[in-house]
Amino acid sequence: MTNFIDFLLGGFSNGAVIALMALALVMVWRSTRMVNFAQVGQAMFTTYIALTIQQSTGNWLLALAVAMGAGLILGTIVFFLVIRPVKNSDTTGAIIATFGVLIALQAGAGMIWGGDPEGFLPPVSNAGLEFAGRIWPISLYDILVLAVTAALVIGLTLLFTRTSLGLSMRAAAFNPEVARLSGVRVNRMLITGWAIAGATGAVGGVLIAPVSTISPNSFDILLVFAFTAAVIGGLDSLIGAVTFGIGTGLVISLVSGYTDASNAPVVALVLLALNLLLKPDGVFSHHGSRSV
Amino acid sequence: MLETVDLCVSYGAVKALNGMSLVVPRGEVTAVIGANGAGKSTLMRTLAGLVTLQSGQVLFDGVSVAGKKPEDIVRNGMALVPEGRSTIPELTIEENLRLGGLWRSKTDRGASKDLVFDLFPILGQRASMRADTLSGGERQQLAIGRALMSDPRCLLLDEPSLGLAPLIVTQILELVSRLATETNLAVLLVEQNAVTALRVATTGVVLNLGEVVKSGPAAEIASDEELRHAYLGY
Ligand SMILES: Nc1ncnc2c1ncn2[C@@H]1O[C@H](COP(=O)(O)OP(=O)(O)OP(=O)(O)O)[C@@H](O)[C@H]1O
Ligand SMILES: [Mg+2]
Repeated sequence: MTNFIDFLLGGFSNGAVIALMALALVMVWRSTRMVNFAQVGQAMFTTYIALTIQQSTGNWLLALAVAMGAGLILGTIVFFLVIRPVKNSDTTGAIIATFGVLIALQAGAGMIWGGDPEGFLPPVSNAGLEFAGRIWPISLYDILVLAVTAALVIGLTLLFTRTSLGLSMRAAAFNPEVARLSGVRVNRMLITGWAIAGATGAVGGVLIAPVSTISPNSFDILLVFAFTAAVIGGLDSLIGAVTFGIGTGLVISLVSGYTDASNAPVVALVLLALNLLLKPDGVFSHHGSRSV
Repeated sequence: MLETVDLCVSYGAVKALNGMSLVVPRGEVTAVIGANGAGKSTLMRTLAGLVTLQSGQVLFDGVSVAGKKPEDIVRNGMALVPEGRSTIPELTIEENLRLGGLWRSKTDRGASKDLVFDLFPILGQRASMRADTLSGGERQQLAIGRALMSDPRCLLLDEPSLGLAPLIVTQILELVSRLATETNLAVLLVEQNAVTALRVATTGVVLNLGEVVKSGPAAEIASDEELRHAYLGY
């Protein structure tokens, strides 16, 4: 039983990062009805930028802020790279193009920063907290990760529900034609969706870097988990992405704890397959059918 | 005032509008009536910027608006309530309304909202509920309300009677007609349901296969038996 609780507790901060990545995928999905497979590549790239800032200034907050800014910009750039050339054609072309961008980002990062894994110093201790006479599988850093994730999720929720920009973005996602007829500049909203997704993924990257390492491919596995969470959550549900992102983190932690960490991706794919068989529209989706 | 001159629109080989000219003065309702496929929705969607015209002119208060984007056309004072349920069910009633005039200042928006709630009290009472909790007639009111939130000088209504009980249609159209007179609004109403449309309109225009076959005072059109038999099918 102690094992179970320890494994569970150990999964939260990992789950928070998966939730952020899933949120990024969902925001892109809501904008342009497609999955951006370059999302983790963008996060990897902006995390390298954050690492450079961290190494030269030692200021973690600054590194995080710069990564977010770079995420916004990179999200916008990828939008134009992927969406513009294949405009008016089917989304399949655009989805394949996101794979191209992923490969290009990984190659680019390899050339700039080298292919060897690098460490990213956490701003606070990453050692298990001592409390009530024992060491728990949660560190001060895990708490920071959860706090930053919570702040970002709350911020995004307020943005979407309380601001004119958020209303415009939701309207553009739900019904582009009615949005345009209402005066919303829909194309700008789509770009904004990609940009915010980029920034969200960037935060996820910076948060996960100190507990993994960073290399051009180190976030690939994150894509599997985030994609699983986003799809199970219904692909267009922000709440779904967060809930199942954290849920996926807990499942991975349990699987890794009781068996072996290398089994986690397989379990994620099994969950994904089960979900597509049993409830193909996702748990939180209120829409009809969808195609990936 | 809205004016179209020799408007031509095609979908590939299909000529939907074939040299259509029309005048929509302020302060009254102009009704365009015609059977299925006459080109009514095409006309409306072209005016709103959703469909590109092949040739001809669209003049709004003397300025050409042909080829502009839908979002600029509505910001410029011409709002379309498209055919069917043109509300966003996932948003609340208040959000659907707010969406209609997001670019305007808060005070201007507030004034429009008061006007809409005055016109359609049910929207005010249910403001915080999701739009999909409304009945068909109420949703049509919401769609019109959303368009009014842009403070238009010209309102385009594409078949508001679709799927609604005749009594409700009459009620809604009479409100719109009163609004046109009271606020000097130009209303272009497109309908298959000729009787109701011509009752609230000042001028009637009969459209057939993309061409105007007759236009004149609404009462005159309504009483023209031949026209009715030939183009309106009743
Ligand atoms: N997107 C489209 N692509 C091809 N043809 C179209 C398209 N939209 C309309 N049409 C054709 O253009 C003609 C006019 O259609 P339109 O929708 O304007 O008619 P309508 O008068 O609004 O009819 P209804 O009363 O059924 O709404 C029809 O022959 C229709 O089949
Ligand atoms: Mg029509």
